[in-house]
Amino acid sequence: MARGRLGWLAALWLVAALVLGPVWTSWAAIPDDPDFDPVARRFRTTREITVEVYDRSNPGGSRPEDNFYTDFIKEGMLRDHNVRVTFVPVPRWTEVEVLNNLLAAGDAPDIAVTYSYPTIQTYANMGGVIDLAPYLEKYKDVLPNLWGLLGEDNLFWNRDPGTGRVWAIEALLFQNKRINTFVREDWLKKLGLPEPTTLEEFESMLRAFRDNAELLLGPDADKMIPYSTSFDVGWRNEHLLLSFVPESITDKEMFVYGFDDRRFLFPNYKEGVRKLNQWYNEGLIWRDFPLYGPGDTTEDNLMRQGFVGAFMHNWDYPYRNGEDSIQVGLQRIVGPEAAFIAVEPFNNDAGIYRKYLSPPIDRKIFFPITNDEPLASLLYLDWISKFENRRFLQIGEEGITHEVLPDGTIRALAATGDKIMNSPQNIDYTLTINGLDLGDPELTARSIALNYPGVDSRYVERAYHITSNEARYTKNFQVGEVKAEEGMQTVLRDKRDLLLQRAIVARPEEFDRVWDAGFADYLRSGGQAIIDERLQKYEQYYGE
Amino acid sequence: MIKSRRTRIGDYVIAFICLVIVLTCLLPMLHVLARSLSASEALIRNQVTLWPKGFNFTAYRLVLSDAKYTWSLLWTGILTVIYTAVAMVMTILCAYPLTYEKLKGRRFINAMILFTMYFNAGTIPMYLLLKDLGLLNRPAVLVIPNALSVFNVIIMRSFFYTIPTSLRESAEIDGAGPVTVLLRIYLPLSKPVLATLSLFYAVARWNGYSDALMFMNDRTYHPIQLLLYNILRSVTAIDVATLEGFRTPGLNETLQAATVMFATVPILLVYPWLQRYFIAGATLGAVRE
Amino acid sequence: MVLSSVKARRAVNYLRSYWTLYLMLLLPIAYFVIFRYIPMTYILIAFKKYSLFQSVWEMPWADNYGFEYFIRAFSSRDFLNAVRNTVMLNVLDLLIGFPAPIIFALLLNELPFRRFKRFTQSVTYMPHFLSWIIIAGLALQVFAPSTGLVNVVLRRLGFDPIPFLNHPTWWVFTYVFLGVWRNLGWNTIIYLAALTGVNPELYEAAEIDGANRWQKIRYVTLPGIQPTIVTLLILNLGQILSSDFDRPYALTNALVYDVSNVIATYVYTYGVRGLQFSLTTAIGLFQSVVCVIFLFTANALAKRYGERGIW
Repeated sequence: MARGRLGWLAALWLVAALVLGPVWTSWAAIPDDPDFDPVARRFRTTREITVEVYDRSNPGGSRPEDNFYTDFIKEGMLRDHNVRVTFVPVPRWTEVEVLNNLLAAGDAPDIAVTYSYPTIQTYANMGGVIDLAPYLEKYKDVLPNLWGLLGEDNLFWNRDPGTGRVWAIEALLFQNKRINTFVREDWLKKLGLPEPTTLEEFESMLRAFRDNAELLLGPDADKMIPYSTSFDVGWRNEHLLLSFVPESITDKEMFVYGFDDRRFLFPNYKEGVRKLNQWYNEGLIWRDFPLYGPGDTTEDNLMRQGFVGAFMHNWDYPYRNGEDSIQVGLQRIVGPEAAFIAVEPFNNDAGIYRKYLSPPIDRKIFFPITNDEPLASLLYLDWISKFENRRFLQIGEEGITHEVLPDGTIRALAATGDKIMNSPQNIDYTLTINGLDLGDPELTARSIALNYPGVDSRYVERAYHITSNEARYTKNFQVGEVKAEEGMQTVLRDKRDLLLQRAIVARPEEFDRVWDAGFADYLRSGGQAIIDERLQKYEQYYGE
Repeated sequence: MIKSRRTRIGDYVIAFICLVIVLTCLLPMLHVLARSLSASEALIRNQVTLWPKGFNFTAYRLVLSDAKYTWSLLWTGILTVIYTAVAMVMTILCAYPLTYEKLKGRRFINAMILFTMYFNAGTIPMYLLLKDLGLLNRPAVLVIPNALSVFNVIIMRSFFYTIPTSLRESAEIDGAGPVTVLLRIYLPLSKPVLATLSLFYAVARWNGYSDALMFMNDRTYHPIQLLLYNILRSVTAIDVATLEGFRTPGLNETLQAATVMFATVPILLVYPWLQRYFIAGATLGAVRE
Repeated sequence: MVLSSVKARRAVNYLRSYWTLYLMLLLPIAYFVIFRYIPMTYILIAFKKYSLFQSVWEMPWADNYGFEYFIRAFSSRDFLNAVRNTVMLNVLDLLIGFPAPIIFALLLNELPFRRFKRFTQSVTYMPHFLSWIIIAGLALQVFAPSTGLVNVVLRRLGFDPIPFLNHPTWWVFTYVFLGVWRNLGWNTIIYLAALTGVNPELYEAAEIDGANRWQKIRYVTLPGIQPTIVTLLILNLGQILSSDFDRPYALTNALVYDVSNVIATYVYTYGVRGLQFSLTTAIGLFQSVVCVIFLFTANALAKRYGERGIW
């Protein structure tokens, strides 16, 4: 009798294992921790974890691993979950190299962060990363804030459809703002021009700037720069270039060709570059733009001095940094009426001012294989995702790092000493979110507009709304690892930038030759392989 | 000595050439100095050439008033002195025995040392080694791993070769051992090369920061160039700004120029003091063997 | 019997006189073994599939009998281009930048104005302390096509601007020039130190023989510093394939990429940023081997001409 029942039970297990497959076995692989109380969400004995924090070494900054905010986090974690947290500072500028060293030596922090997913994939291929999928599934109920903030979308963004593994979770890009087009409001007024709403109007505006240089700049007329750009052509001309992409582009195409962040493989991009080439040869674009690399302030200074009529850049670029901002500098040097305003002139073939934004992902959080406390680490991520906690980290103490205006808007104040924020809104601590979130979207938008000292908030509000108007996002298609992408990020990025710059400065009759040669080189150096693999994988998992 | 007229003209021509070279070196430095003392608005407008505009000591004040930086300046000075002493001792200990022709194994040791100049495996194995040796994050890690430069050893050895062995031999006949010969004969005659190599080591240590970046986590022991490097990066890291959607509130470019001064000025103060060792005839003539 | 005791006695005598020398060498050799040779085993990863989490011996061998990464490098057009550029730039640096400090040292040596001489020495090594980023910034201010100082002056004089930084051929010239400018004063230091070793009696003898300035230089000064020159020449030739990173990285731009792409920047883009450690090491190994071959050759040539080599 007993044996028969055991046999029946064994058969049941066998069937269950076969039917429920990998999910079941992964669940079963994680033993329950008797020390952990799932109701109170606390450990009975104190656990220890280490968390990576960027060390920016900014002048006047506090020690990133030991300050007012780390105290806040440490106390909270100990109180709420009985987990002791230690922060491991990693220099921001050599982040990957230092992380390599730590991983090689077995000293990696329990929670590590990076912006580059291929890096994590490389680590995972070496066997150095923990698969998070089973933990996220198993402990869903004790991680309400993490699941609440990131949701299945961001938590499982990088899930491999074949193996079900998740090597890293994606932080939430809450303020998904990208690029804006800026023009000189005072020059438009002086020349009696309306704000451009089409490509043709924008173009004739640039020509008007060029032809009226003496009126606009007086003795400095020879320094006129109707339109400015930089070596990062794709970023700095995005609205124009992507307006040449047909509205009918499918999600599939966006996926297959969208691995390049500047989207330069999208159909018809070439024609947008041709337009820039035409402008360059007409003298509408800053002639020396390819000579200045990242970090060079020459172009910014030209803007401050008032020589630049229009440009595209990060959505709030001229307003950033208070006294050091371009807008403030411009007003100081040229006059209080001088200002850059955001405009929306580039519509596509369907007449829509389409903005191709980034997907709502930001930093990737992963656990190196040396992490012995995955549950405690997940609880940490849950703790900093809790609204009250992250709100405090983002705006700090009232009266010190922010003040509350009568209508509830939050205005940031610059603090010094121990309560200084080493990174804006303490992004280095709020690992799971990038962008201010005060709960109410309108309140948040108004508060953001106030965060630009020296700049009239109406400019910022306008920029804020235009930049994400008519947004379209690349859908997340999970195809697992794309082997062809391994190690290729920087290489292809550099080739892309090279091609774009050369194509713009070429003589018009040379444009096609230069473009085709550079494009062929890009494809030959690994671009084509990535496209092919993405296409094949897409069709494998999603059909035609 | 009466100089012929041709020689005198030649002297002036040479002086003129030197003057031109001096100007090409001096003017850029003056320009950088002027930039470091100018108001940011003047820098934005590109108005600064050789003289500061809108005298502005902010950059220097920022660096010198922050205890973090003044301590680092002091520490880097101490570190440089210790490092140079250690490195010079090591270099002498290495170069001197290799000047003895009859030393058995000399060729092997020469080759072994030379080999290391060309084959180098990178940061990660060094990191692992330092970790195993327990040197990570301790001040000694800024002194020991780079204590010997093969290039400098070769230079010193070449100089030792120019000292006639007859001197050594006569001392040996008088009963002096190698150590005595080193201390009484070779070192006193090698003042120029000792001064030169000390300068090389000192400059390398004063301006070096990549080893501290990788191997020294403890901020107390960060050399000044590392601190300045971090400031510069935080101001100019545009790629970071694009990714993260903001730029760390940084300083204006006055500071960029000031960092150059911190690199140069200390060495400028030291070099003239070393120059007195470069007096002609300090060593006896080189007798080609 | 007699022979071995003679040998033994000779050995004992040898050790008695030379033991202090071996003792002195102990510390330096220990240093080299620990800090240079032990990490050197890592070079093996050039032949292996790299993993951060395994030791060198545990890592699996790369494909193609371990030569996978070498093959990958040599089949890359960019890499071959980088090798060509590296050699070209290094050769130019050598042709122009090697004699320059020697000549300058000789000129300084001739200067009778002592204070001016000291002043010159102190000033000319200053550029050495400028980082290449700063120099690139200065170079742009001086050489930029529309706003650079030199080109503004040229235009005012009625000439066309010269594309110092944006045309490949001119860029090479500017690159070499900046390298010479930066290192001239610094590299002179060694030669000046060497010049102090020239016996002043020889000068007096030459003076008595009626030699003029140039003859003195040719027959007294130059031979006097010849060992130094030869040593440095051999060392420099041994760097023929080595590649500085900061200098081309700071000075490059899209318009001159074809000549500014060197091995160091190639390794940085493909190897370091792509986490391709094996590739990086393989290329480094290739460079090292070539450099050692050049070193051997240069040394052998020097010995053939009666000079004392590096070993």
